[in-house]
Amino acid sequence: MATRSMFFRIIWKLLGASRGRLALALVALSSGAAVSSALLNVNLDAERKLTQEFRTLGANIVIAPPSGGSDAALADSSVMDGIAGLRARQIIAAAPFLYVAANSGTQPVILAGTWFDQVAKMNSWWKIDGSWVASRESHLRCLVGSAAARQLGLAIGSPVELRSGDHTISLTVAGIVTAGGAEDSQIFTDLSVAQDLAGLSGRVSLVQLSVSGSSSDIEALTNRLASALPGLDVRPVRQIAAAEGTILGRIRGLIFWTIALILALSMLGVLASMAALAMERRRDVGLMKALGGPVSRIMRLFLVEAGALGILGGTIGFVVGMLLARWMGSSVFGVAISPRPIVFPLTIILTVAVALLGAFPLRLLGRVRPAEILRGE
Amino acid sequence: MAPLVQVENLEKRFDEVRALKQVSFDVEAGEWIAIMGPSGSGKTTLINILGGLDHPTSGRVTVDGMDIAELGERELTRYRSDKIGFVFQQFHLVSYLTAVENVMLAQYFHSITDETEAVESLRRVGMGDRLDHVPAQLSGGEQQRVAIARALINNPKLILADEPTGNLDEANEAIILNLFRDLHSSGHTILVVTHSQAIGNLADRRVELEHGRLARISVPSVAREQV
Repeated sequence: MATRSMFFRIIWKLLGASRGRLALALVALSSGAAVSSALLNVNLDAERKLTQEFRTLGANIVIAPPSGGSDAALADSSVMDGIAGLRARQIIAAAPFLYVAANSGTQPVILAGTWFDQVAKMNSWWKIDGSWVASRESHLRCLVGSAAARQLGLAIGSPVELRSGDHTISLTVAGIVTAGGAEDSQIFTDLSVAQDLAGLSGRVSLVQLSVSGSSSDIEALTNRLASALPGLDVRPVRQIAAAEGTILGRIRGLIFWTIALILALSMLGVLASMAALAMERRRDVGLMKALGGPVSRIMRLFLVEAGALGILGGTIGFVVGMLLARWMGSSVFGVAISPRPIVFPLTIILTVAVALLGAFPLRLLGRVRPAEILRGE
Repeated sequence: MAPLVQVENLEKRFDEVRALKQVSFDVEAGEWIAIMGPSGSGKTTLINILGGLDHPTSGRVTVDGMDIAELGERELTRYRSDKIGFVFQQFHLVSYLTAVENVMLAQYFHSITDETEAVESLRRVGMGDRLDHVPAQLSGGEQQRVAIARALINNPKLILADEPTGNLDEANEAIILNLFRDLHSSGHTILVVTHSQAIGNLADRRVELEHGRLARISVPSVAREQV
């Protein structure tokens, strides 16, 4: 017990005696730990934040009748109820669509009936001139794709009359949509309006879902939906899922290599301080060996000292890193990154490892020959 | 009863330089030996080998029944901790440890630390009022007294001192010599490397080296009381 107390007494004195050099090593360790813990936190939060961001970029699951089926439309209420019945919190938005071939005057046009509130959540990247139709109850207003608007000579506020079979409806253009895809050639109106026009009450062509989570989460939800909705095709939009996975993978890779580089730089800082410290301590190590100190016991002193430095540097770095992560979160993702408790032990482990590797010059002191040191060589 | 130290045909080479050439002598337990000779005669090399800090090239060195020429690094470390108490010309105290901690350092590497015992050891050398001073706060003589307390703390079989008064003024030299005299009186075996005739005269025998050879072993003619 007394020997252990002497051990810590020596460690304490060692830390105090080399304050200057150890402070430099501590700065290197804390800086590395701060950036590493911030990036680790960002990495852990990145998937959640990025998938939230991705969810504004369109659907990643589509539910449709089996291809080649005779019935081109589905039962609206049963599908949407089936989806809601799963109570899956991953589902950010679920929008039914009914596509109707209509005419505006003599010009053919596709009318897409949907739930605007859900489409707005799913496609926040759509460029709208004018205004969104935000409610499912706005039966008299529509959004017109930019290509369709040009073809039909429509502008914001224009009336548009659509005919399908014997049915005719009159709508007002609330906004012009530029989405960069097939949507630009379509007219969007409320689902019930399209159903009335087509005489397909309670029917939809397909349902688009925007779902958060990793590729495997999406795959799992797809299977649950397929079980809950027998007779329908439930398909993840693979290109989007794969693109999200690639982006996440690249961000993770970037973060990993940045952390590795930062820690390597920290280690160089620690190495420089420890090399100078090793020169200062040669005489003490020679003396300790002359007094009968086993190399392992002397080295344990230095390694525990380096470890203590790593723990202190890691703790300081973690605190600074959390502030840094918060700043990075608000400036990169526009939201505060939440501190993740797991980052603390990870930071400590990494920083202690860097400190121990950086203490390599001190380990070389084990080779000191006491007779040479005591002669003053 | 076998001598405490037996040196037989001891040879030490540093590359082409023969630092010790066929040196042989014995030391009885409780004896005070002065190792003397001009600079470069091999005194420090001899004491380093006796202290387990260096390996002989050939020959045999037995201390307390152990042939230290046959010991590996680990055994030599244990040997230094168990059997030897070192006192150096440069004192060699750890600068960031207090006087009592410097003494406890030797305990720490030997077995278990006992602060009370370390304090007692410092009191014996007249350093009871300087326990918590670091070396920079102590005079040369005081530092050497701490080094002597450290050398004694583990009850070594052999005290090896390399020019222990070489860096001290006369007053402090007298204090240190009195301490050595007390140690000798209490039965400690002491080997002191010295240039000082005064210390040589205090010893039971003088082992004189010249160019690495044993030149002579003599008994000082001057009575100790006169020093």
